[in-house]
Amino acid sequence: MRIRNRQDFATGLFFIAIGLGAYWIAADYPMGTAMRPDTGVLPKALAWLLAGTGIILAGKSLVADGPHLTEWAWRPALMITLATIAFALLVDRVGLAITMLVSMTLAAFGTPETRWREYALFAIFMVVLGVVVFILGLGMPIRILPQGLSWR
Amino acid sequence: MALDGLLANLALGLSVAATMQNLMWCLMGAVIGTAVGVLPGVGPVATMALLLPVTYVLPADGALIMLAGIYYGAQYGGSTTAILVNLPGESSSVVTTLDGYQMARQGRAGPALAIAAIGSFFAGCVATILIAAAAPPLTRLAQQFAPADYFSLMVLGLVFSIVLARGSIIKAFGMVFLGMLLGLVGTDVNTGNLRFTFGISDLFDGLGFVPLAMGIFGIAEIIANLTNPERRDLVSSKVSNLWPSREDFRRSRGPILRGTILGSVLGLLPGGGAVLGSFSAYTLEKKVSKTPEKFGTGMIEGVAGPESANNAAAQTSFIPMLTLGIPSNAVMAMMIGGMMIHGIIPGPQVMEQRPGLFWGMIVSMWFGNLMLIILNLPMIGLWVRLLLVPYRLLAIAVLFFCCIGVYSLNNSANEVLFIAGFGLLGYLLIKLDCEPAPLLLGFILGPMMEVYMRRAMLLSRGDPWVFFQRPLSFAFLILAGILLLLVVLPAIRKGRETAFQE
Repeated sequence: MRIRNRQDFATGLFFIAIGLGAYWIAADYPMGTAMRPDTGVLPKALAWLLAGTGIILAGKSLVADGPHLTEWAWRPALMITLATIAFALLVDRVGLAITMLVSMTLAAFGTPETRWREYALFAIFMVVLGVVVFILGLGMPIRILPQGLSWR
Repeated sequence: MALDGLLANLALGLSVAATMQNLMWCLMGAVIGTAVGVLPGVGPVATMALLLPVTYVLPADGALIMLAGIYYGAQYGGSTTAILVNLPGESSSVVTTLDGYQMARQGRAGPALAIAAIGSFFAGCVATILIAAAAPPLTRLAQQFAPADYFSLMVLGLVFSIVLARGSIIKAFGMVFLGMLLGLVGTDVNTGNLRFTFGISDLFDGLGFVPLAMGIFGIAEIIANLTNPERRDLVSSKVSNLWPSREDFRRSRGPILRGTILGSVLGLLPGGGAVLGSFSAYTLEKKVSKTPEKFGTGMIEGVAGPESANNAAAQTSFIPMLTLGIPSNAVMAMMIGGMMIHGIIPGPQVMEQRPGLFWGMIVSMWFGNLMLIILNLPMIGLWVRLLLVPYRLLAIAVLFFCCIGVYSLNNSANEVLFIAGFGLLGYLLIKLDCEPAPLLLGFILGPMMEVYMRRAMLLSRGDPWVFFQRPLSFAFLILAGILLLLVVLPAIRKGRETAFQE
């Protein structure tokens, strides 16, 4: 057996995995009656449909040729995700200014094209913009600097 | 009689849209929309998501006028980048790059830009009148809908989004199912049972549409765009000779007219909208042309047709949302989000209960189009300068705006964590070549369909035949069946593939 369309094969496996997982979680949701369909009807139906779609797709990928998976872009995927998570974890704790600096710097590591001197100027500009627009302008309830250092 | 009613409605709309504040919000939407359209990698969905929190502080009519302006404004801006840089500023401008950029290389950037703007303006005016004329009868029809009819209409909508999705149909099916599953996360409104919440309290109210759209469209695009460093070959920052020649006008008349009609029709379809409109218009122009082999070498027809079509489609896609409360694409889902923020439930009742808002929004579209043609032609140099911001910096700015935008929705840092997850999901989908539009539509329509399905079953005392006994519902289902049959038949599938490849 040879996989002739790796992209479709991977998509098929992805659908099957989600479908089975959803069915497993939804297994004990009540089904109700035809007149009053209950919580479990749609989740189970959709789980089957999704897994079925995955099986068709994976099956087809064994007989028909198709594109290979292209290289994963680990660096931007990792750094952009980390930058987003950093924003979420820091914003309520250390204020907007430091949050922005950490998050944006992580994102800047996501591409080899970053020119650090240019980035430094840009980062300062963005922090000022962020504080002025979102905290002073729109009055969002975020502190600017960590507690103890700041006047608000 | 009908004309009198229409004029009275438009007069009411004029009185709302022409106030100083609303003109200002309209201008603001148009300006932001143009900027978003010009910048590649920043789409209208993410932008509207960012501005939703800002619209809290605006009155309802001002907020919706501004949000609408962003969408059709982006269609104008997208063509600028397509013509001058050979990059689609907006996904609906992909085909404009083919002939528009060639025209620019031949020193005819000015006429290309002018025809794109004039075509868009004409299409925008026609579409505005079309919305005004079509909305009242459709609304009356919608008021007779029973739950079964709504359910079947949504089935038809999802089938349309599958048929119209680019790439594999099987994958589009999977995307709809996955989207519907994601839509079920949270509390079951009928019974209060929790579904797929994993005990996380942030999930009890369900996944938010804004974090989902922002992750899949905003964050995932950043990751994908950073992977392939783009080259921006700006032909020249100075555009001279804006005015097209008489010959240009003569050649563009037909394409603009055909593009407007085609775009207006395709905009109505669920899953359709601006992108489909521009692709189809390009194909049509190539078909009717006497010299199809010259397309791709700087034919003005290849700019006029698609650019008119995408603007017409962007505007007529408001019709199903305004009359039925059903979004036909992600942008319309955002508009619904904007209406909900102001306590307006989209649907046929909006026209009766809030006529000022309804007609004001429609008339504002005409004002918006007028502003856009002024913004885009004489001020073109300003927009070109925006393109000098390199993507490595733009990406960081967009990421920050996504984070703070989602945070500001509920002042919840946890929702920012969600967009990190959805960003990775979106990147996976790009890698697997799965188009996210059907997923988003399934996400919105899935829970609505469940509600209508339950109501219909309750009314029919558990008899599933109700979906076939009501004539409207039956018609929708038959249409959905025919559509599915058509795409499964190989001959037509082949035709569809070639249409999208061009």
